[in-house]
Amino acid sequence: MKKTLSIIGYIWAVLCLLLIPITFMGNNAFASMLAKLPFMKVNPIYSGGEVDRTVNHAGFKTTINKPVFEALIGESSKGFVQVKWTGDKMLPPIINDTIDYDNNGIRDFIIHIDTHTGKTELTPLDSHVLSLNISSKVKDSWLARINLLNPAK
Amino acid sequence: MKTTSLYSTSGKLWKSIALTLPMFLLTFVFITGGKPDFSSSSAIFSFVVTFIFFNTLFFLMLYTGKTDRFRAIGFIAMALFFALVFIVNLVKMRGSMSFSNENLLSCEIPFCHIVTTMIIIPIVLTKSIIFPGSILTGFASIASMLVIVIGISLALGRGFCSWGCFYGGWDDGTSRILRRPVIKNVNPNWRWFSFAFLLIIALSAAITLTPTYCSWFCPFKTVTEYEKITNFDTLMKTIVFVSLFLSLVIILPVLTRKRIQCGTFCPMGALMSFTNKINPFEVTIDKEKCNDCKKCIRTCPTFSMVEPGLSKGRPEITCMKCGKCIDECSQNAISYHIRGTPSGKAFTAARTLFLYPAFTLLVVFAGGNIQYGIVLLIRFFSTGSFM
Ligand code: SF4
Ligand code: SF4
Repeated sequence: MKKTLSIIGYIWAVLCLLLIPITFMGNNAFASMLAKLPFMKVNPIYSGGEVDRTVNHAGFKTTINKPVFEALIGESSKGFVQVKWTGDKMLPPIINDTIDYDNNGIRDFIIHIDTHTGKTELTPLDSHVLSLNISSKVKDSWLARINLLNPAK
Repeated sequence: MKTTSLYSTSGKLWKSIALTLPMFLLTFVFITGGKPDFSSSSAIFSFVVTFIFFNTLFFLMLYTGKTDRFRAIGFIAMALFFALVFIVNLVKMRGSMSFSNENLLSCEIPFCHIVTTMIIIPIVLTKSIIFPGSILTGFASIASMLVIVIGISLALGRGFCSWGCFYGGWDDGTSRILRRPVIKNVNPNWRWFSFAFLLIIALSAAITLTPTYCSWFCPFKTVTEYEKITNFDTLMKTIVFVSLFLSLVIILPVLTRKRIQCGTFCPMGALMSFTNKINPFEVTIDKEKCNDCKKCIRTCPTFSMVEPGLSKGRPEITCMKCGKCIDECSQNAISYHIRGTPSGKAFTAARTLFLYPAFTLLVVFAGGNIQYGIVLLIRFFSTGSFM
């Protein structure tokens, strides 16, 4: 029994010895496999949520994501919606857009962004629209998150 | 008086050289990343220096039978060079050490292993990762870092904290500055604080869906990257990061000669401690040889060697396998051991089987950074700029 345990111990140690080079040399392959697991996605609080729809305008397009009401369990009473504006060639100096974030045919807020200064003004048209969370240039687009009350809560 | 060495490599030149040969290959592969860059004289010089540096350390470990004193040189160099290279790269890419809203919104923040402590509960309950990083692309992606954390945990347990963590070298280094501690008799029970803190961090991160340690408590933000100071909140966070760095990583380790940040505060260290239980390498004490001088208790920088452990014949679960107690024991009563194998025998086999993966890990994390750090230093001294 002692001898068997001893052999198992040495085999285990040698496997651990091999595991370090294998972990690093095979990192890309293992990471790709791990990334396929269902939980390997960035929480919508950070990613901004899934894209809901894109609206085309002259010179730029607006991408509206699904509202995010993340909580550890169930949904939170407050959240946000992420909207992104991308210019056909470059960002327009002024973005003036009216957004229907829940796509129910009723306008929810108006947003005015000066893309040179970053100055952003939000005019809520719906009682669930609370305030501006963040407004920032991201690569070749402009992105804003607008705080919302969860209508389901 | 020190008894003769436990290891058959000790004082044996050819045996030590022969056992260093495989490390030649491993260091070559991991320092160059498999793609040697000999395009400039500074690149060749930095590679040669790094290669000789690591292989000399490994050879000396075998030849002298001492582990910690050579490990610490590589481990501390890793922390310093990692910070240098990381900061210079950030300044090159972003123009500053701070990250902006743009970096956060595009999920471009590098995933650090300590974040692992905060994502576990949300993974179970929300099936997602609460971190603004990239799953698979870019530098330090989430999937790639999780593979590394899992691999190292299985291979070395908490040995990671003395051989692989690119932060640990900071307090390992500062705890060696004074020859004698100014503050003696620190209660070793402080090590349990890191477990309580792990619980607090894991729960607070789950409730708020925010990586709370990164947002509020990480002392190493001071030497890596931090949120741009744009309001009172970010100013407060920066004050907390710098205060924690000064107190836990610099001042207290200097005064106590203990790794205060890693031994009492870091939640990742606490989490890694559990992985010591699923790992074949351990440190054991031969009670027959021990003369109860308690030098190991005074020496252990992580509060892992305590009186009950001495009588049980093994350190606490928090042991980082640094080898300092082994080096210091005048009776050769402490040694590396492989679970399941007989105690008090095959010391060289157990130590060598541990040293290969542990030292390879050090080379993997430190090699590229030290090599590139030397190129940066040459550039700085010849042009006055790192860029
Ligand atoms: S305790 Fe934390 S900071 Fe220290 S070496 Fe371990 S993981 Fe790194
Ligand atoms: S018990 Fe020994 S090997 Fe473990 S952390 Fe303390 S000094 Fe290092």
